[in-house]
Amino acid sequence: MILVEGLTKYYGDFRAINSLSFHADAGEIIGFLGPNGAGKTTTMRILTGYMPPSAGSASVAGFDVFEESLEARRRVGYLPETVPLYKEMTVWRYVDYMAGLHGMRGSGRADRVDEVLEMVDMIDRSDSLITSLSKGMRQRVGLAQALVHSPEVLILDEPTIGLDPRQVREVRELIRSLGSDRTVLLSTHILSEVSQLCSRILIINKGEIVAEDSPESLAGRLEGAMRFFVRVGNAPPSEVAAALNDLDSVANTYATEQGVEVTASRENDARPAVAATIVNHAWDLLELRSLQMSLEDIFLELTTDEEMFEKAAVEEEGEAA
Amino acid sequence: MSEVGRSLQTLWVIFKHEFSLFFISPIVYFIGAGWLFFAGLFFSFAMNNYNSGLAVPSMTSVLGSMAFLLIFIAPAITMRMVSEEIRTGTHELLFTAPVRDWEIIVGKWLGSWGVLTIFILLTVPYPLILLWRGTPDTGLILAGYLGIWLLAGAVLAIGILTSSLSQYQLVAFMIGMAVLITMWLSDAFVSLVSGAVISDVLTELTLQSHYHDTMLSRGLVSPLDIGYFVGIMVLSLFIATQILGTRRWRA
Repeated sequence: MILVEGLTKYYGDFRAINSLSFHADAGEIIGFLGPNGAGKTTTMRILTGYMPPSAGSASVAGFDVFEESLEARRRVGYLPETVPLYKEMTVWRYVDYMAGLHGMRGSGRADRVDEVLEMVDMIDRSDSLITSLSKGMRQRVGLAQALVHSPEVLILDEPTIGLDPRQVREVRELIRSLGSDRTVLLSTHILSEVSQLCSRILIINKGEIVAEDSPESLAGRLEGAMRFFVRVGNAPPSEVAAALNDLDSVANTYATEQGVEVTASRENDARPAVAATIVNHAWDLLELRSLQMSLEDIFLELTTDEEMFEKAAVEEEGEAA
Repeated sequence: MSEVGRSLQTLWVIFKHEFSLFFISPIVYFIGAGWLFFAGLFFSFAMNNYNSGLAVPSMTSVLGSMAFLLIFIAPAITMRMVSEEIRTGTHELLFTAPVRDWEIIVGKWLGSWGVLTIFILLTVPYPLILLWRGTPDTGLILAGYLGIWLLAGAVLAIGILTSSLSQYQLVAFMIGMAVLITMWLSDAFVSLVSGAVISDVLTELTLQSHYHDTMLSRGLVSPLDIGYFVGIMVLSLFIATQILGTRRWRA
């Protein structure tokens, strides 16, 4: 349904996305995860025919988004990040206009407008001016215009942003039900959202895909590892981190203000060795607790490792001095 | 559905949207009130002259003054049409809907032309009064109306073009008015330049000479003048489409 190959986009000299490749099949909900500025919106804008790529190709529902742009656009519903609304129009007229732009007409069009407004729970506000709606309502009207022409592919840029918790749950339910018979690509930086909704996650950073897997197996990657937090009373965390890093069973340490975060393999429990090291240094062990590993950790690990390396380098320099 | 049928339907949808948007904002009513005020004023002058035996019953002086008013009214009507979409980001909807860039531009232009057509039709009672009170040259009046309608289409196309240049309405309005005044008066520059070719070109480019000298004052409908107005429409809308298209690249 969505096929992206070697997609690259430059804004002047700035490379927003670099040789992106992925695919999505019918009935799949794909989560596009990444920090701000990673290239999510750029990719989505190319897929929806807003702008052409600098290199590479992308097709939607079998149509190339650049060569057969109109055919591709007929089959895509798009909810941009900032929902573009004609504020002086009523909800119903706005969705009706969007249906008209997608070539729908006649009484079928009016029925369909009612139907999608029902789906997003906005039917009782049909005659309200959009300018009078709350942010959550505007988001739902935006969703209605993305759905009105029954597209095969839905592209949603941060669909739950600005909604209250109850609305977030409703919109997620809606996306889940839509995803059963069509392809949904949604971007977000809410990790619980992708783990609840998506069958596959693409983590994108600085314009490149850094991981692609199901939420379960991404979490499973960390099953083999364990992390715990160590706090001692009479030594600076950086010194403790350095000492613990020398242990064979410890994979990685990271000094924070309060203490040290230790990553180790699960098969080879590092905790006894860590405790022994602390005792040998005559440090006062105040705390030793395990840390929950989550998608958040994977995300941070994949998207911020450069800064981590820099931090580690700075620490090493400090030690050398 | 054929490609042509699809295009026509898209144009109709965009036209209807743009046309109805005018009537939910107060601006068009202000402009319309001003238009009708001046139309009435010019007509009462013409009637005074006729009643005092200074002139024959005709719409020439009225339509001539109204044509000049279009220079200020047209950019005021079109200034919002493209710039506002860019400023509020709604062009993202149009760019990702299955519509072509030229259909967006032409649909908008037709919407604005629809509004000015209504403005022009609202002055039709005046020639009817002339017909009731005297025996005006109906051919001259019809040619005058055809001319002002074509002129309106041409200046609105230029207005759409200047609206696509900037995301600020006021900038679009000022540039539009500056361009139109220059085109209106460009034969006044003839005396400033030497060279027969340049002065011929300047005279031919002048907006008013293609209306005032033929259709308005002589009732002469020539293919050259119609071609001139249609040419301005096509050229302006083509350039506007290209400028709108660059928004896709500039992001």
